[in-house]
Amino acid sequence: MNAAEWVFPAVQSVHFVGFALSIGTIAITDLRLLGFGMRRQKPAELAADLEPWTRAGILVMLVTGILMFSTDAVGYHNNPSFRFKMTCLAVALLFHFTLHRRALRRDLPSIASKMAAVTSLLLWTGVVAGGRMIAFV
Amino acid sequence: MEQVPAFVEWIQNTDLSTAIREGGLPYPIIGGIHLLSIALFGGMLLVTDLRLLGWTMRKRFVSDVMNQLRTWKWFGFVVVVVTGSLLAWAEPVRLYKSPSFWVKMALFALVGVHALVFRAGVYGHPERLDKAVTRQAKIAAAVSLLLWAGLIVSGRLIAFDASFDE
Repeated sequence: MNAAEWVFPAVQSVHFVGFALSIGTIAITDLRLLGFGMRRQKPAELAADLEPWTRAGILVMLVTGILMFSTDAVGYHNNPSFRFKMTCLAVALLFHFTLHRRALRRDLPSIASKMAAVTSLLLWTGVVAGGRMIAFV
Repeated sequence: MEQVPAFVEWIQNTDLSTAIREGGLPYPIIGGIHLLSIALFGGMLLVTDLRLLGWTMRKRFVSDVMNQLRTWKWFGFVVVVVTGSLLAWAEPVRLYKSPSFWVKMALFALVGVHALVFRAGVYGHPERLDKAVTRQAKIAAAVSLLLWAGLIVSGRLIAFDASFDE
């Protein structure tokens, strides 16, 4: 991947599309839990509709992310922003497939499900912000 | 250094441009917000277009999906454009010499053309698509996805153009 100049930005672009798909669809469900949109659908219905696209996005994001990591594994490993990003990502993914999913199953939004939505938005914000900072630290 | 038009030099020398470019934190923070709003706006856009193509939320009316996402799409779009403009304001000389930047601006102009062309038949009256999504609406969705994918790719390529190596 280090061979041709255009390969890295091309892979990175696919990475962007992947996270727009995954984080974008997760954000829609979070906004629904907070009561800020798509209110005519139950959270569980909305999540069921969007989950295949969320997962496809996560898969694209992970594959392209690993490819980019492989071009400079040591450099990324030593980069504090990268470590921050990976910590946020690990927690965000774990959260998405456990507590977040459970929050979406409830028909009546509770304080707990709103907190789950805010936590989810913050974790994914951390992932994107950490990713952006890799180039600057 | 290759010559750039006076207005490009002028932008580069404004206080705002210098502050973002050389201030340390502002540039990556604005870049981070730009990215986050791409995730938010891009996600909404994808869901709208995928619904028009019949690939998701098929049990929901097209108008239902589109009307409910409209406000958030506009919010994301405005944040993307404002943060993008600030980033461009910070680096006008490098951007002027970057071919990818001009490709991106051309695609952005096409987004405007797309909106004008398909407003009457598609986006302005989503309720007319509830019974059956027209071929025109599917074309609009496919073109929209291609344009935004192109915007992301060309945007990402800017950082790899020669003028950003200096």
